[in-house]
Amino acid sequence: MSLLIGALTIGFILSLLALGVLISFRIFAFPDITAEGSITLGAAVAAILLVNAWSPLAATTIAVLAGMTSGAATGVLHTRFRINGLLAGILVMTALYSINLHVMGRSNIPLLKATTFVTRAEEAGSFLLGGRESLNLFGWDVSTRDLSVLLFSLAVALLVGAVLYVFFRTDLGTAMRATGDNSQMIRAMGVSDGNMIVLGLAVSNGLVALAGALLAQYQGFSDVQMGIGMLVWGLASVIIGEALVGVRQLGYTVTGAVMGSVLFRLLVAIALRWGLDPNDLKLITALFVFVALILPGLLAKVKMSKAGAAHA
Amino acid sequence: MLDVRRVQKTFNPGTPNEVRSLKGVDLALVEGEFVVIIGTNGSGKSTMLNAVGGSFFVDAGAIHLDGRDVTRWPEHRRAGMIGRVFQNPFSGTAPNLSIAENLALSARRGRRRGLGWALRGDLRSQIHEVVRSLNMGLETRLDNEIGNLSGGQRQALTLLMATWLKPKLLLLDEHTAALDPKSADQVIHLSGELISRDNLTTLMVTHSMHQAVNLGERLIMMHRGQILHDFRGAEKRRLRVDDLLGRFEEVRRADLLDETAAEMLRRKYV
Repeated sequence: MSLLIGALTIGFILSLLALGVLISFRIFAFPDITAEGSITLGAAVAAILLVNAWSPLAATTIAVLAGMTSGAATGVLHTRFRINGLLAGILVMTALYSINLHVMGRSNIPLLKATTFVTRAEEAGSFLLGGRESLNLFGWDVSTRDLSVLLFSLAVALLVGAVLYVFFRTDLGTAMRATGDNSQMIRAMGVSDGNMIVLGLAVSNGLVALAGALLAQYQGFSDVQMGIGMLVWGLASVIIGEALVGVRQLGYTVTGAVMGSVLFRLLVAIALRWGLDPNDLKLITALFVFVALILPGLLAKVKMSKAGAAHA
Repeated sequence: MLDVRRVQKTFNPGTPNEVRSLKGVDLALVEGEFVVIIGTNGSGKSTMLNAVGGSFFVDAGAIHLDGRDVTRWPEHRRAGMIGRVFQNPFSGTAPNLSIAENLALSARRGRRRGLGWALRGDLRSQIHEVVRSLNMGLETRLDNEIGNLSGGQRQALTLLMATWLKPKLLLLDEHTAALDPKSADQVIHLSGELISRDNLTTLMVTHSMHQAVNLGERLIMMHRGQILHDFRGAEKRRLRVDDLLGRFEEVRRADLLDETAAEMLRRKYV
C-alpha cells in the first residue's frame, strides 16, 4: 500500500513536469530539453534555501522564478539569436549543470533536517487526525505521513492544472496557443510570436522547476543528476495522457497530462516490483516514447494499405 | 494614407539566385482608395504587398502609413494598423483553435493582451452576429476547431478577422487564388461588401483579369519589379479584360525584343 501511495505522490508531483512539457512540446512543438536542467535547478534552489531555514513557500517560489528565467534564456537564444530550438535547449541545459553545482555548492544536499512542504503537510495531517500515526483505509493501514503528503501533491497538481487551464482561456493564453498553431496568423493579429515563445518557455520551465522543488522536498534530497531523462519522462506522460483522454481539447489535454503522469509512474512502480532492473528504466522509457511517436503513422499506413488491398 | 517611396528589395543578394524583386517602386494611396495590383509572374506584386505588411524589411526606400514611418517596424507592430488576408486559406487562422477563439483574437488585433477572459459574454454574442452575417451556417459551430472548415469558409472568416477592428489598410494577397470558383466568388463578393461598408483603404493583388477589371477604382500593372501602368478614374472604368490582355501582350513582345536584341548584339560583338 505504501508503494502505491508513493507512486501516486511522485506521479502527481511529476505531473507538473508533464504540464510544462505539454506547453513546450504540444503547444509550441518545441522539444525543450532545458527541462532536464531546470528541474534540477528548481530542486537545487529550493534545497539550498530550505537548509538555510527559508520557509517552504518562499524557497519554492524562488525555485519557480529561477526555472522561468532558464526557460526565458532558451527562448531568447532561439528567437533573438535564431539558434535551432533543440540546440538552444542543449546550451542552456549544459550551462545549468554548472550553475546547479554552484547553487548547491556540492553535488547533493540532504533535506532531512529542514522544514519543507512535506513536514508542513505531515503536521497538518496529524493535527487533523488528532495525532494518530496511521489510519485504516479500506482494510489497509496507511501512515498519516504518507497520506497527507499524497493529498498535498494531489492538491498542488489540481490547483496548477486549473490555473493553467484558466490561463489558456485568457486573451494572453489564447494568443500563446495560436502562436504554436500558426505563427504567421498571430503576427498578423499584432502579437510578437518571438515574445510569446519566450513567455511560453518561461512558464513551461517554471512548472518544471516547481516539480523539481517539490520532488526534492518529497524525496528528502536534491541531486545534480536528478534531471537526466526527465524530458522523455514528461513526453511519455503527455503521450499516455493523450491516449487516455482521446480528444485534443484544452481541458482534456491538461487533465490528461496529470493522469498520464500518474499512470506512467504506477506502471513503472509495478514493473520495478516485478523485477525490472532499475538501470533499464530510462531505456524502456525511451523505447516507449519512440513507439508512441511512430505508432500513429504506422497505423495510418496499415489502414491505407488495407484500403488499397480492398480496392484492388 | 499609404505612401511607398523608392522601395527596393533584392532577395539572395550576391548569390546566383539573386532576384531584384522591387526596383524603386513609388506608390501612394489616399484614404478609402481601393487599388488592385496585377502583374506577370515574378513581377513583384506579392513582394510589394509583403513589403508593406512587414514580412521583411526593404533594402532602400521608405514606407509611411497614416503619417507614420513604419519602414523599420516589425510585422506584428504594423499589424495594429493593417489587416491581412493571405493567398493560402490556411495562413490566416489557427487550426486547432475554435472559430470563436480565432475571432476573439482578431477583436484585439494590435492591442494589449492581458489576463482577461478571451471569450467574454458580450464578445461571444458579437461573434455570433458577425459570423451569422456570412450566411454559411457557421454560427452554430462556433466552438468547433476552425481547421475542420473548408478553404473558402476559412478565407471568409479570415476576412472578418482582418476587418473586425477597422484597419487603416487592408492587404489582400491573391486571396481567392487557392479557392474553388464558387468559394472564390463568395469571398470576393464578401471582400467588396466589407470594403465599401467601412470605406477601407485597400491594396489587393490578383491574378484574375476579371477581378482586376471589375473591382477597385484604380489598377496598377507591375512588371519586373516596377510599376508599368497606373489606370485611374475614367480610364480604369473603361478598361476591359481585352485591353489588359493587350497590355500584357505588349509587355511580352518587349521582353522578346529585348532578348533577341541582346542575342544579336552578343553574336556580333562577343
